[in-house]
Order: sequence, then C-alpha cells, then structure tokens
Amino acid sequence: MIQADLNVILPEIALSVFAMAALIFAVYTSKDKLAPTLVWVSAAVLVAVAAFIGLNGSGENIAFGGMFVDDAFSRFAKIVILLSAAAVLVMSQEYMQRRDLLRFEYPVLIVLASVGMMMMVSAGDLMALYMGLELQSLSLYVVASLRRDSVKSTEAGLKYFVLGALSSGLLLYGASLVYGYAGTTLFSGIIQTATEEDISLGLLFGLIFVISGLAFKVSAVPFHMWTPDVYEGSPTPVTAFFATAPKVAAMGLFARVLHDAFGGAVPDWSQVVALLSVLSMFLGAVAAIGQTNIKRLMAYSSIAHMGYALMGLAAGTAFGVQAMLVYMAIYVTMNVGTFAFILMMERDGQPVTDIGALRMYSKREPGKALAMLILLFSLAGVPPMLGFFGKFYVLQAAYQADLIWLAVAGVVASVIGAFYYLRIVFYMYFGEDTGEDLDTGGNPVLSGFLMASAAIMVVGIVNMFGVEGAAEAAAAVLVN
Amino acid sequence: MSHGGHLLFIIALLPFIGALVPGIMIRAGRNACAAFTAVPTAIAFIMLLILAPQVMRGEVITFQLEWLPQLGLSASFFLDGLGLLFACMITGVGLLITLYARFYLSGEDPMGQFYTYLLLFQGAMLGIVLSDNILLLLIFWELTSLSSFLLIGYWKHLPEGRQGAKMALTVTGAGGLAMIGGMLILGNIAGSYNLTDILQAGDQIRTSDWYLPALILILLGAFTKSAQFPFHFWLPHAMAAPTPVSAYLHSATMVKAGVFLMARMWPVLSGTDAWFYIVATTGLITMVLGALIALFKDDLKALLAFSTVSHLGLLTMLLGFGTDKAAIAAVFHIINHLTFKAALFMTAGIVDHETHTRDIKRLGGLRHLMPITFLIGTVAALSMAGIPLFNGFLSKEMMLEEASHTDWWGSHYAVPVLATIGALLSVAYSFRFISHVFLGPQREDYPHTPHDPPFGMWAAPALLTLLVIIIGVAPFLAEGIVRAAANAVTGQELKFYLKIWHGVTPALWMSGIAVLGGLVLLGLHRPLDAAWIKAPRPEAKAIFDRLMAGTVGLMRGITEATHTGAISRYLAIFSVAAVALGWAAYSGSGLSAPTRTHLPVPPVIAVGWVMLIVATISVVGMHHHRFRALILIGIIGLSISAGFAYLSAPDLALTQISVETVTILLLLLALHFLPKETPKESSMGRKLRDGIIALTAGGGVGALAYAFLLRDIDTISDYHIANSYEGGGGTNVVNVILVDFRGYDTYGEIIVLGIAGFVIYALMHALLDGPAARRLRNTDYSQDRSRDRHPLMMVVVTRVLMPIAVVVGLYIFLRGHNQPGGGFVAGLVIAIALLMQYMASGFAWTQERKKIEYHTMIGFGVVIAGLTGVGAWLAGQPFLTSAYTYVHLPPVEEFELATAMLFDLGVFLTVLGAVMLMLYSLSRIARFAGQTVNVGPMDYDPGHPYTKEEDEGAR
Repeated sequence: MIQADLNVILPEIALSVFAMAALIFAVYTSKDKLAPTLVWVSAAVLVAVAAFIGLNGSGENIAFGGMFVDDAFSRFAKIVILLSAAAVLVMSQEYMQRRDLLRFEYPVLIVLASVGMMMMVSAGDLMALYMGLELQSLSLYVVASLRRDSVKSTEAGLKYFVLGALSSGLLLYGASLVYGYAGTTLFSGIIQTATEEDISLGLLFGLIFVISGLAFKVSAVPFHMWTPDVYEGSPTPVTAFFATAPKVAAMGLFARVLHDAFGGAVPDWSQVVALLSVLSMFLGAVAAIGQTNIKRLMAYSSIAHMGYALMGLAAGTAFGVQAMLVYMAIYVTMNVGTFAFILMMERDGQPVTDIGALRMYSKREPGKALAMLILLFSLAGVPPMLGFFGKFYVLQAAYQADLIWLAVAGVVASVIGAFYYLRIVFYMYFGEDTGEDLDTGGNPVLSGFLMASAAIMVVGIVNMFGVEGAAEAAAAVLVN
Repeated sequence: MSHGGHLLFIIALLPFIGALVPGIMIRAGRNACAAFTAVPTAIAFIMLLILAPQVMRGEVITFQLEWLPQLGLSASFFLDGLGLLFACMITGVGLLITLYARFYLSGEDPMGQFYTYLLLFQGAMLGIVLSDNILLLLIFWELTSLSSFLLIGYWKHLPEGRQGAKMALTVTGAGGLAMIGGMLILGNIAGSYNLTDILQAGDQIRTSDWYLPALILILLGAFTKSAQFPFHFWLPHAMAAPTPVSAYLHSATMVKAGVFLMARMWPVLSGTDAWFYIVATTGLITMVLGALIALFKDDLKALLAFSTVSHLGLLTMLLGFGTDKAAIAAVFHIINHLTFKAALFMTAGIVDHETHTRDIKRLGGLRHLMPITFLIGTVAALSMAGIPLFNGFLSKEMMLEEASHTDWWGSHYAVPVLATIGALLSVAYSFRFISHVFLGPQREDYPHTPHDPPFGMWAAPALLTLLVIIIGVAPFLAEGIVRAAANAVTGQELKFYLKIWHGVTPALWMSGIAVLGGLVLLGLHRPLDAAWIKAPRPEAKAIFDRLMAGTVGLMRGITEATHTGAISRYLAIFSVAAVALGWAAYSGSGLSAPTRTHLPVPPVIAVGWVMLIVATISVVGMHHHRFRALILIGIIGLSISAGFAYLSAPDLALTQISVETVTILLLLLALHFLPKETPKESSMGRKLRDGIIALTAGGGVGALAYAFLLRDIDTISDYHIANSYEGGGGTNVVNVILVDFRGYDTYGEIIVLGIAGFVIYALMHALLDGPAARRLRNTDYSQDRSRDRHPLMMVVVTRVLMPIAVVVGLYIFLRGHNQPGGGFVAGLVIAIALLMQYMASGFAWTQERKKIEYHTMIGFGVVIAGLTGVGAWLAGQPFLTSAYTYVHLPPVEEFELATAMLFDLGVFLTVLGAVMLMLYSLSRIARFAGQTVNVGPMDYDPGHPYTKEEDEGAR
C-alpha cells in the first residue's frame, strides 16, 4: 500500500533526497566552492528525473488516497518544468560565479522549488496543492533576494514574500471555504459537489478566492504587481527562472484545480478567468511599451503571455487545456533563449539591461542578432515562428468555446504588444550607433541556448516536435 | 490532388531552397551569384508556364499536405487564374530584378546576402498567392513582412532607411497580426481554414454576426500591406531601400499582396454595404491623395512611390465597387501597373545610378545624354498617364467607366468627379516625370555626368515597356490571362473582350478632361509647388511619429502611475481586486435566506464586543507607538480568548490565552531593541483611502463570515465527536484531533516550531557578526533603564509561582486527552513560568540555574513524537496510529494510558524548548548590546538604600 504510494512519488522523493543530501554535503565540505559543480550536477539530476518521468510514466497512478495524481497531464507539465529549471540552472552558473553570487544553496533551492512545482501539478487535494505551492514559493522568496547586499534584490524578495503571503492567505481562505462546503479537500470529492446547477455560494466564494490566489502565482492582472519589481530586482538568472518553470507549474496547478475540482462548474469560473486573461494581455502589452529596462519589459511580457495561456484555460475545454500546455511549452522555450541573450548583455563585464544598448547590435553580432530577432518575432506571435502557433492555438480554443470577444481582444492586444518586441528588433538592426558597444563573444553555454531556442522557433513549425500530441493526451486526462 | 499538384509544391518550395545558395556562393563572384538566384526563379517560372494552359481552361490545380491538422493548418496549395497571374508576375519580375540588381548594386554591397533575402521574399510572395489554407497564407504574409524588413534595411547606413524600415515593420506587422484574428473568425464561420472551402461559404460568412469584425480585421491587414489611407505613409518612407527592392517589393509584388487578398476574398466578403463603403471609399481617398502628393514630390522615387499608393488606391476602389466589370478592370490594371511602374522604378534607378541624384530639381535635359533611358521612361510614363495606345489607357478607361455609374451615399457625382481628379493628377505627375527629368535644356551641373547604362541594366525595363506597348496596341493578347484571373476573382464565368476603342463614352470624356487638365497643372506647377510648400498640411510621418511618441508617453504614464514600486499601493490593488471578485461571486448567484437566527447577545458580551472593536481601531490609530500597540494587541487577544470561552470552546480559549501571553512577552522583549516609534508615513488623503479599502475588505470578510454562520452547513464536527472516544480514546475532541486524527499535522507543526526556534537562534547569531552588531553596541539604553529593573515584589511572586505553574502545567498536560489542555498548552504554561523568571530575575541569574539545553529539548521532543509514531509500525499499524488501554493502579482510580500521551509529551517538550530558545536568543542580544546583567536575584539590597554616588552611577 504505502509501497505503491511511494513508487508513484519516486521522482519527487529522489529530488528531495538529492537536495537535502547536497545541502548537507556542501555544508560539511567546501561550501560555495562546490557550487559550480553542484549546479551542473543538479541540472543533470533534473534532466535525469525528467527523462525518467518521460520514459517510465504511463497511465494514471493515484497515490495517498487521491492526494497525489500522476497522469499524462502532470507528466507533461513536470517534464517542461524540470527541463526548463535545468536549462536556467546551467545558464546561470557562469554569470553568477563571475559576480560572486553563486552560493551552494542556489542549486539546492532551485531543486526544492522544482519538487514543489512537481507537487503542484500533481496535486489531487487542496492540502497537497498548498504544500506544493508553499514549497515552491518559499524557495523562490529566498532566491529572489539572493543578492543580499543589493537593496533592490532584497526589496524584491521582501515584496514578493509579503504579497505572496497575502495571496497564500487568500488561497487558504478560499480553500477552507471549499473544504467547509464540499466536506472534503479531495478534488475528486469536490467535483461531485461543485456542479453547475447547484454550486453553493460558499463553494463559489471558495473557488473565487482560490483563483485569486493562483492568479497571483501566474502573475495575472490585477494580482501581478509584484512581477516587474521582482523581475527587475532579482539577479538575472533568477529572473529567468521566475519567467519559466514556476509559470508552467502555476498554470498547471490552475488547470488542475479548475478542471479536476471544478470541472463541473465551468461557467462559474470561465468568465473570471477570461477577465484575468483579457486584463493581463492588455496590461502586459500596454505597460511594456514604456519600458527601457529589458528585465522589466520581460516581466510585462510574461504577464501578457500568461494572459494568453489563461485564454486557453478560460475556454474550459480539453482543447483549451491542450492549447494552454502547448502555449506554455513554447513560451518557456522562447524565454530560455531570450534570457540567455539577456544574460549575455554586458559592457566591460558589467550587466546591461537598457534596451538602448542594443543599437546596431546586428553589425557586431549578426548571428546572435538574428537569433534574437527570431525569438522576438516569436514572442510577438508573428507567423511563421512557433510563437504564432501557440497564440493561434489559444485563440482558436477561445473561439471554439464561444469566447469570440476574448479571441478578438487577444488579437488586438497582440497587435499592441508587437510594438515593443519589434522596437528591440529595430534597435538591433537600425538603431543609431552610439559607439557604446556591448561586449561581443559571451559564454558558449548561453550562446548555445540562445541559438537552440531560436532554431526551435523556426524548425519547430514542422511538427512541433510532437508536443502537440503529448499535450492533447495530457489535456484529455484532465478534462472529461 | 489534381494533375500537376506536385509541380505546384515544388514551385512554392524552390525559392526557399534557392535562398540558401547565393549566400554561400558569393565567393564565386557576382555573376555566379546572380545566376544562381535566377535559376530557381526561372525554373519556377517555366513550371508555371507548363501549368498555365490547364489553368486557362478553368481547371484548378491543387496540392494537399497535412501539417498540423488539429490547428486546421495544412500545407495546401492551389493554382487558379488569379494565382497564376500573380505567380507569373512574381517570378517574371523576379527574374528581371535579379538581372537589374546585378548591375545596379556596387561591388561593396554584400550581394549574396541581398539575393538570399530576395529569394526568401520571392518564396514568401509565391506562398501567399498559392496558399489554399488561410493559416498558411498568414505565415507567408508575415514572412514577406520579415524578408522585406531585411531588404529595406539592406543599406543600414542611411538614416532614412532606418526610419523606413521601422515604420514599414510596425505598420505591416501590426496589420498582419490583426489579420490573424480576422482569419480565425472566417475559418470558424466556414468550418475550415481551406480557402477553397471558405470561398464556397460566402453566404454563411456574409450573414454571420461576426462578419463585420472579421472584415475589419482582414482589411486592416490588406490596407496596411497595400499602403491604403490612412496607412499610406509607410510606403514612400520605405523607398530608402535599394531601387531593385523598391521596384520589386513596392511596386510589383508586396504592396499588391493586400490587393491580392481583397481579390481572393472578393467572392466571400464583397457585395455588402460595409464592403463597398469601407473598401471603395478608402481606395478613392488613397487614389486622389496619393496622386496629389506625388505631383509635388521632388525625389524621383518618392514621386513614384506616391503614384504607386495612388494606383493601389485605384485597385482597391475597383475591388470595392463589387461589380464584375470592376473586378475585370482591377485584374487588368494589376498587369498594366506592374509593367509600367516596375519599368519606371528601374528607370529612376538608372537615373540615380548615372547622375547620382534623384532630385527632380537638379535634373532635366537628360534625353540627349541618355536616349535609351529616355525612351523607356517616356513610354512607361505615358502609360501611367493613361495615353492611348499604351496599356495604362485601357484599364484606366475601364476604371472611369465603372466610376461613372457608381453612386456613393446617394450621390451620382462624388465617385466620377473624384476619379477624374485622380486621373488628372496622375496625368500631371506622369508628364512632370517626363518633362522635368528628360526634357528641357541640358544642364552642366549634374553631380555626375550621365550616359546610358550597360545593356544588362536597361534590358529589364526595356522588356517591360515592350509589354506596355504590346498590350496597349493588342489588348486581346492579354485577354486569356485576364479572363482566367477575373473568373477566379468573381467565381463565375465572365464574357468580355478587351478592346482599344470603346466608342465615345463618358469615360472617354473624363479621360480627355484628365489629360488636358493634367497638362494645365503641369504648366502651373511652379506656382502651385510654391503654394504647396507654404500650405500647412498634415505630414503623415510626423503624425505617425507623434502618435507613437504620444502613445508611448501615455502608456509609460499609466504604468508609472500604477506600478510605483510602493508595496502599499500593490496591497491596495490586491485587496480591491479580491473584494471586487468576491462581490462578483456574491452578486452572480445571490444569497439564500438565512436558516438560523443568531444567538441572543447579553449586555456583557456586547460590551466586550465593543471593546474589541475599540481596541482594534486603537491599534491602527496608535500603531506609531509600538509599546501601546503591543498592549492593545494583548487586549484584543484576551478578548478573543474570552470569546472562545464564552462560546464553549475552553480548549481554544486556553491555548489562545497561553499563546497570547507568550507572544506578547517575547514581543515586549524584542521591542526593547527596536525604535520606540515607527516613522510617520502617509498623508491624510492616503490614510483615508487606505482606511476605506481596509474597511471594505475587512467588512467584506466579516459579512461573509456572518452570512455563513446564519446558514446551515454540513460540518465535519459530528464525525470527530462520534469517533473521538472510540477511535482515539479521549473525550477532549480537540486534543484527540491534534494528537490522533491529525497527528501527522501536529507532528509537522512541532517540527516547524522547533525549526523556527533554531532559525531565530541562528539569525541572532549571524546578527552579532554583521553590521547590525556595531549598531547594537553603540545603542544607548541608559535612557529608558529603570533604576529598579528587578523589583522585589516581582521576583518573589514569580519564584513562588514557579512550582505552582509547573504543577498546573503538569496537570494540564495529564488531563489533556479528556479535558481541556494537552501538551501544547502545558508547554506554553511552563514556558510562561520560566519566561517570568527571566524577566523578573534577569537573564544571567536564570541562565545559571538552567540545567537542560533548549536545543536538546526540542530534539528530544521531536524524537519522542516520532518514535511514538514509529511504534505504531511495530504493531502493524500505519504511522502515528494511536493505541490506548486502561490501567488500574490500586491507590488511584482506573485511568487511561494512550500512546497519544507520549506523542503529547513530544509536543510539550518541543513547544517549551522552542519558546525558551527564542527567549534565549533575545537575551544574547541584550547582553551583547552591553546591558549589564545582574548576578544576584535583585539589583540592590532593599535594606541598603542607594547612596548618592550609586544613584548617579545607575543613571
């Protein structure tokens, strides 16, 4: 019995044990000197676990009386989470080491956050949900303020923590209402009570507050306020991490709660999610226009992207979930590449985040400029880059769910949003040469990620590397 | 898949494969490079010619390849008359441009790159006209934007090139994105993304509710691409590109993509009022406006660019009329415009290349120096003016004919008059092109002495002018392709003949007026030009720039106003949003009638309630003064405990009281090291605002709780009450829940509590090394130090109380399972007793008498609790399963022993250890900060009053 349960959570156990062992090992040996090795080992372990899940997982396995669910959906999300976490870890090593930021706790925290995220997407119970969420969040609060001697970084961490605590409180409040009115914390039990015809007001309140709490985690407007400050204040590799894996996890959790627990009351949440979606898309697009700091810009960009992903969820259909998953997979790939580029932006070894510094970048680094051009077009959702397919997926999902207004609003927002992506392209190719050049060259690992990500955006249009099918299978389990 | 389908696929693919070659081949020389560009183009062209007879017969050649079927995307191509016409134009002109560019570009230009972009663009264009899937079409559509962006930006060193590229990219990119929405709607109405299916679903689409949004979104794409008013401004600014690019993209192909799309969608979208008024009006305005501006442009290419805008407007207008004849005229004019305009651009390029200027004011009299160029340019320009025997005349006649009987908003004259004015202006700028460049006296001051270029350079325009004349003289030669294309546009079999002479029709009169008027205008050009320059006129580029800057400014303003970085604002927004969502949930479903009445409120309770509120408000009001705030918080806590007691929850009350006491005591100690007051932060207005938000949020939660309490709910209490005694062996349900039902949670909690204790200890430890240590050392505490820090009374009382408190703790611990109490409360009670010792007798004094390390205590607590849980395994039960038995020892009554008790012991030890460790951490700071610590129980012997010196010293 317990044996079977433990078998199901084997990947999580393995990662947790690894994290704790690494922590103890590092404390008792060489501490920070070990950090670079630990980063690579952690990344390898993350990839190994992802491979294990991908190759080994099959069917639907339920552990701990339904609290933990291992199905195609969770596996899809976990693989994306683990791979992106590994990618970001590897990307950060050189950058952080050079700036003396690389603490041995960093990889450990990232691994623990990943465990939390895996827990989130596998949650089959409100308590499992909360546990995963907090494990993730607590790790993230710490890494946000990793640069302890920087006021901005500590402020970012503190802000994130305070607001995160508030959102957790809101979520807990909602969860306890749900528990009170459904009589159970199990999603499989809640779904029997929360039917469209007679969803009690208490349950509805619970649902709304749970959604609000989760909206904070995916940084959907109006619960997004932390995002720009935290993105800007955190060390760039940490920002890259924020923009990738946790977003997938939060979206996965969002989908799980909405469909596994409240799948019987789609109309009750669809409108709320649609509202979050449309607000996020527009605010993301509008607010990014005025930004000159590329990290802040990416923060707003991620807000807008979450709006699109939420559009898939708002549809409330299997196709919507599939669209969301495809969107997230593409989004993460784009962001890994983009942040690899941002990590390489430096002048005389100092990091630069002003987009003005990119003027005439194409003259000095034509290859990287082209890769970035592809990524930016993809972020803007311009065909034929992969980003367009993601966007089209969610638009179609919204349309098919009769949320035509949402789809049209999404298109309008993407037109507005294109402006700031294209502005960077413009700077790189036509900007006035100010003579203040960025350093050329750069870390081969980062260049590799940049190039690979850009290549995926172009080559991926052939068959999306089969992600589409996997996402379809994943969505089918969740929505029925 | 019809016959020849595979050929179609190859045609679409060829340029992309070919694009790889020139980039690599550049080392092989410029000729090789150009040749390798020409090869795929030529092959594609030949293949098209092979397929042409089939298409002319009315067959549609299709090719199907599934791509992402779930998305509705397939790599399907089809070739009908319209597609054939455009494909031939693209490949044919592509060949000519390849040749022309070979001679036009100088040796320093990276030619390989240029040809790669060119082929890429060509492939994208071919894709647009051949796609049978609107998603595929979208992909190619944006690919043209992308490749044209690279081509326009080819000469990066020119500042105008920069501006042009930016504008072109912004405008067409945004338009393309808008089109995605339109295509999505269209595809969903028709139920397929295949063009052939959509073209069948015309009625369905036109009657759909979403027809208008779809139409507007698609037209946005088409208008931006084809530079229609008010998006016309980007095209002239894109002219900084090398002339071959201008000739290819900005006259022959890319800008026609919008027109192509409108023609393609004509059977589906046209025929409604919305279509007519949007499309025809836009076209008409663009035509007249473009022609007017063209007349006053001095830059040769700008003149041609605006004339292109004008002609694109003409085409748009014709398609907007929505009649078959207008469609025929449009198709015919597409061919004609291509021939003369491409030739003119190349001519302009030659002039620029030879004289090193494109400024008309610095040109003139070139006819003697460049006779061949003169001939080519003149023929093409005459065709543009619409002079008989040249092809431009024919299609312009047809246009005027259609315009002459089109009513606009009830007016018979609006369209014909404006169309005539457009034609008139067109004549004027065409003649101006001829006369101001080639005619007139030869000048001495050309920047570079011109002569005719090599054959390779004038061959391409010459070929095009030849076509101008051939079609102009023998229009029936073009009849086949025009018919095939027009049939494809209208979706029906049309019967018509292209003739030179239509008799004396209104159109001929209009033409005549146009030519004469054009000549008059040309004669008046100089004064008019002066007036034009003086006249205030909206400069589209400036407006665009200002619009952009304004938008950016506005957006930035919005962002900066909302995202100030102040966490108070974020919290405010957060709270408001949560309240709003809650309100939405409430108003969405409404509240059922209450099923319970609330309990009677005795006066005492009401007073307590009011006091609670007053205390709460006072905390907010006095929060600047930390000490008072803390006391008030204590009062609130006690009131709540009293509330619990009143509402028959003795366990909660007991726990609450002890927790309150411990926290307040610890906080009091911690307060010692903090500033006494918090900084003043808010203005009155903000306080008011925040107060309202706080009241709303709090009131909302309160109202919610109240509403819940008045309604029946299924609680889970019954289950616990029923099973507490039988399952857990205790009658105190709360305690049984803690140690049995939810033993796991409790186990987790005590671990957390223990860790918290350690963390505080560790943090304090770290603090004593850091910069905070210096501050601590330098703090002067003498100000608020009491002379009698350890008052006798207090010391005595606490010591007397100590054993009593321990006994009470023990008692509470032992009775816990059945009566209010338990390990947690017991731990707190004893902690309070010890805490009091610290406070009363001083840290050092107490520390000396402490025998057990708090760290160990926590460790033991957790281990004992854990082992109790593990013990269950030995009995073959899951972790933390409780077991109990009844024991009868003779002197005492029968009592119960439960394993839960052991577990509770673990809880007790951990709680006690954690609280004391926190206290100990605080005491370390105190000592570090230089606070003197008494060794004896009291600071002074009460028998010996202070001497004066001692008194001084203490201060």
